[in-house]
Amino acid sequence: MKQQPGVCTFCGTGCGHFMQVTGTAVERVFPSQNHPVSKGRLCVRGWNIHELLNTAQTINRPLIKKNGQFADASYEEAIALLVDTLKALPPAAVGFLASPRSTNEEQFLLMKLARAVFKTNNVSLSSDAGHRGCLNILSRGTGMAGMTGSLEEICKAEFLLVAGSDITKQNPIVGSEIHLAAQAGAKIVTIDSRRTQIAKLSNSFLQITPGALKLAVAGIAKCVVQDGLIDSDFVRSSTKGFEEFSASLTQLSEQEITAKTGISIEEFKQVAKALSQAKTAMAFFSSGISGLDEDTISYIFNLFAMTGKIGKEGCGVNPITGINNLQGGYDMGCAPDLLSGFQSLSDQAAVKKFNAAWGVELNITPGRSVSELLAESPGQLKALVVIDHDEGLIRDAAALQKVDFIAYISTYKNKFMDYAHMVLPVARYIAEDGTFTNTDRRVQLSPKKLEPQHNVLPGWKLFSRIAEKAGAKWSYAGPAEVMDEIARLTPTYAKLSHKKLAATFGGVQWPCDEKNPDGTRRLDIKAAGSSISFAKVSGAFAGPAAGKDFPYLLMIGKAQDFWHQNNLMRKTFIPMREYNATLLDYPEGYVEIGPDTAKALQVRNQWQVKVVSPYGEMLLAVKISDDVKSHAAYVPYFARDIIAKALTGHPEILKQGEDATIPIRIEKV
Amino acid sequence: MYLIKKNDILQIAKALSTEYQVYGPVIEPGSGQTFFEKVDDVSEINLSAPIPAAPPKHIVFPQADRILSYRYAGGNAPVEMKPDFKETPKALFGLRSCDLTGLQCLDRFFLGQEFVDEVYRSLRKKMFIVTNTCVAPFKYCFCVCTDSGPAAEEGYDLNLTDIGDNFLIEAGSAKGKALCEKLQLAKAADKDLAEKNRLVDKSITLFESFSTESKAWVSRVMNRITTGFAKEEVWEYVGDQCFECGACSFVCPSCSCFNVVDTATGDCSCDRLRTWDSCSYEGYSRMAGGHNPRKPVEDRRNKRFFCKLSYSQSKKYLRPGCVGCGRCDWVCPGDIGMPNVVKYIRRETTSRDQL
Repeated sequence: MKQQPGVCTFCGTGCGHFMQVTGTAVERVFPSQNHPVSKGRLCVRGWNIHELLNTAQTINRPLIKKNGQFADASYEEAIALLVDTLKALPPAAVGFLASPRSTNEEQFLLMKLARAVFKTNNVSLSSDAGHRGCLNILSRGTGMAGMTGSLEEICKAEFLLVAGSDITKQNPIVGSEIHLAAQAGAKIVTIDSRRTQIAKLSNSFLQITPGALKLAVAGIAKCVVQDGLIDSDFVRSSTKGFEEFSASLTQLSEQEITAKTGISIEEFKQVAKALSQAKTAMAFFSSGISGLDEDTISYIFNLFAMTGKIGKEGCGVNPITGINNLQGGYDMGCAPDLLSGFQSLSDQAAVKKFNAAWGVELNITPGRSVSELLAESPGQLKALVVIDHDEGLIRDAAALQKVDFIAYISTYKNKFMDYAHMVLPVARYIAEDGTFTNTDRRVQLSPKKLEPQHNVLPGWKLFSRIAEKAGAKWSYAGPAEVMDEIARLTPTYAKLSHKKLAATFGGVQWPCDEKNPDGTRRLDIKAAGSSISFAKVSGAFAGPAAGKDFPYLLMIGKAQDFWHQNNLMRKTFIPMREYNATLLDYPEGYVEIGPDTAKALQVRNQWQVKVVSPYGEMLLAVKISDDVKSHAAYVPYFARDIIAKALTGHPEILKQGEDATIPIRIEKV
Repeated sequence: MYLIKKNDILQIAKALSTEYQVYGPVIEPGSGQTFFEKVDDVSEINLSAPIPAAPPKHIVFPQADRILSYRYAGGNAPVEMKPDFKETPKALFGLRSCDLTGLQCLDRFFLGQEFVDEVYRSLRKKMFIVTNTCVAPFKYCFCVCTDSGPAAEEGYDLNLTDIGDNFLIEAGSAKGKALCEKLQLAKAADKDLAEKNRLVDKSITLFESFSTESKAWVSRVMNRITTGFAKEEVWEYVGDQCFECGACSFVCPSCSCFNVVDTATGDCSCDRLRTWDSCSYEGYSRMAGGHNPRKPVEDRRNKRFFCKLSYSQSKKYLRPGCVGCGRCDWVCPGDIGMPNVVKYIRRETTSRDQL
């Protein structure tokens, strides 16, 4: 009964833990005291991860649907069906949906399987908009397609900006680091439309009108310029493109900023002053299935560039991934136009390298993401392979039903199985070695702790068997060899190996290459001798506005009781109880409104109201709270099905996810 | 009182291992973290290891424990039911004084009240306890404030103190004495006890200032909490910082709350699990029908400190519920470990700049 070190696999923080394993069961889990990121802390999910790992709701054998019912099948039979089906189709009609929960090795092999074996570039993660947008901005701006700062340096930042993220609920240990930095004297500024926990813990909270985040950040930037708070030396010596950005801000008027954000210009001035006077500063925002849009991230990036807060110790623009290996998924090239390490399919040298290593001729025309393929009408997607997925995809139920063949590959049962024609199990992550890359580019090895149950194959072996059945010669002896191949083909992972990761407690942050064999804690502009390019911005701030017919602005967000569709939480006891507590009180969802609004509408807690928008209407219960301002309303993400129904026919609104702001009126029922 | 050469100390553990499963402090090599766990070989035990990251609570009160399994195939089929009690003799070797105190709190909760908890009793039975005096405190320790260290005073079979070349061994029970006699240990002299007392006194002077400063305040805060004189604003300030992770309860040597769930294992069978629970969770105090007497987080936090420090709760444990181990402080994502909450109540301030 020894304690075995590992990595928590819920959110993108990448906390360290220990597990005590007996037979096939995890007896207990305990935080890792000396871990560089989590330093002995875990959140409610992490403390109860053994409940998920011990669940009996796992997929235990391959299943093939016959006459509408799943029947047990052998791996041979199921793999043959999958390979025959995919091979019979033109590559453009096949799509692969990777999972941000899979290990790097599994992601890489899935990417290779799609491109090299089934000759399609239709491989994607489901967060096309969110994290990819962050990586585009950061890659263009700094050359580093990942967080420019480091979680280990939060304690060194004097100023911390939390932009529109309920961070203490989504990534609690990152939230904790921010809070502890504040306790030690740093200044936290939160900009959000809803009073979150981090807002309560902030020195300054700008409670903006829903939908006005981009304008608020631009407003701070404008104050920085106006009040002469630019770090001119840094801008001159280390950046490009400032004039263009600066010019775009002149079009903004103070009246417009105040009118649309609901915040006085004085407050923005104070934030601008505090930011530029601090020696070090970091920005945090969520990135994931529905993160901020590229334009908003561009403004945040530019604000930090002009105040000289990128590429130095204690500084950084830090997207925080919601799911454990989302960063790793992009690092491994699970995107229609990318190879591993953010190498583009249009990069001839990179393609040549992959061709030589894999003995293939890669198709260099970028593919399409699965969400794009599903949105197409008429759809050309005929077969879809989905890895370990949340149930969110079911919102595309109508499109899914039109796909001839869906294979679902996962560890745990979920409702998505109903849409699949065949199901292949993979082992729990603790049953095989694998690496995960957290939100601050930290690659960590999670060592194998037990044997797979029910003789289920681990991911790398399953993908190898599929490739071999399709005629490819893959001969990996294990995940360590996959990592060796990743290192050979991926400049940012060049010097990584399982051996090195096993010997390095707390993992290694990429880029890990010839120049930085021990990894790179953060972007270092001076050492790299590089410069920062300001991001292009739209200068457009038109947003939904409340009017006479629709006087309230509705925002959609992740409530505490909801975490990524709850598919995993539902298989636990304690987190399920916690995450479902609000659901039990409000089984049909709720709309949160301020006491003023409730008074005006003459409604009380738990009364039903009709929320009417230009796009549709929905019935919800009232929840009165001080956390939303008058003229704002909030619906938690868990009521997504209800929201989706109300917005049928308006996918452009639904696609904005958490950023969606919808003018509504509320009617008493 | 007996003496044993420092290098021979594990002979006692070795002797115990013939009759007992031996648990002791072990340093995990990759991370340097100390765990108090079952050892295959007594040589793994390191008596100079820092205070274990987790208390030994899991030995008598596992994080998730199957206490019963049953099978019911439906209809007229009989229900097969099998309680799952695990009664194995265990020796806890090198327990810190705070953790022994925690175990005593658990004993009084599970065994010392109207109802005796059979599951706990089966795990707690046939136990041999060897404590290890802390001749130097660790960074988060404040047992001097809670009357639970640095040396154990009762409840052990043997107590060890590192007095230089030797360990002084005090027998606290007939069982302990018999083992020393069996091993033919040398008798200690009065000067050895004097040396132990000197080392304990010295240890007390080595505690961090937050601990020595809080000494009188812990009892005064107990008074304030009991009499309801802790300000509402302080609880709000504490509640705002609660991340509702449950860690403080999980690492607390004396926290005893649990949840019971039945979980289907397939084939008409079910396991009944007893799992750790925490008053920081909203679902913990939620009643059927949705009423929750402690819904706001500050009310739930207030409950934890009431439980640890109020007089009425202390009657349950015959002492304060806090044993001063400091673990809740280092696992807390907020800044509301026990010493800090004592500080907040003592200062009666809630504004950020005053703290």
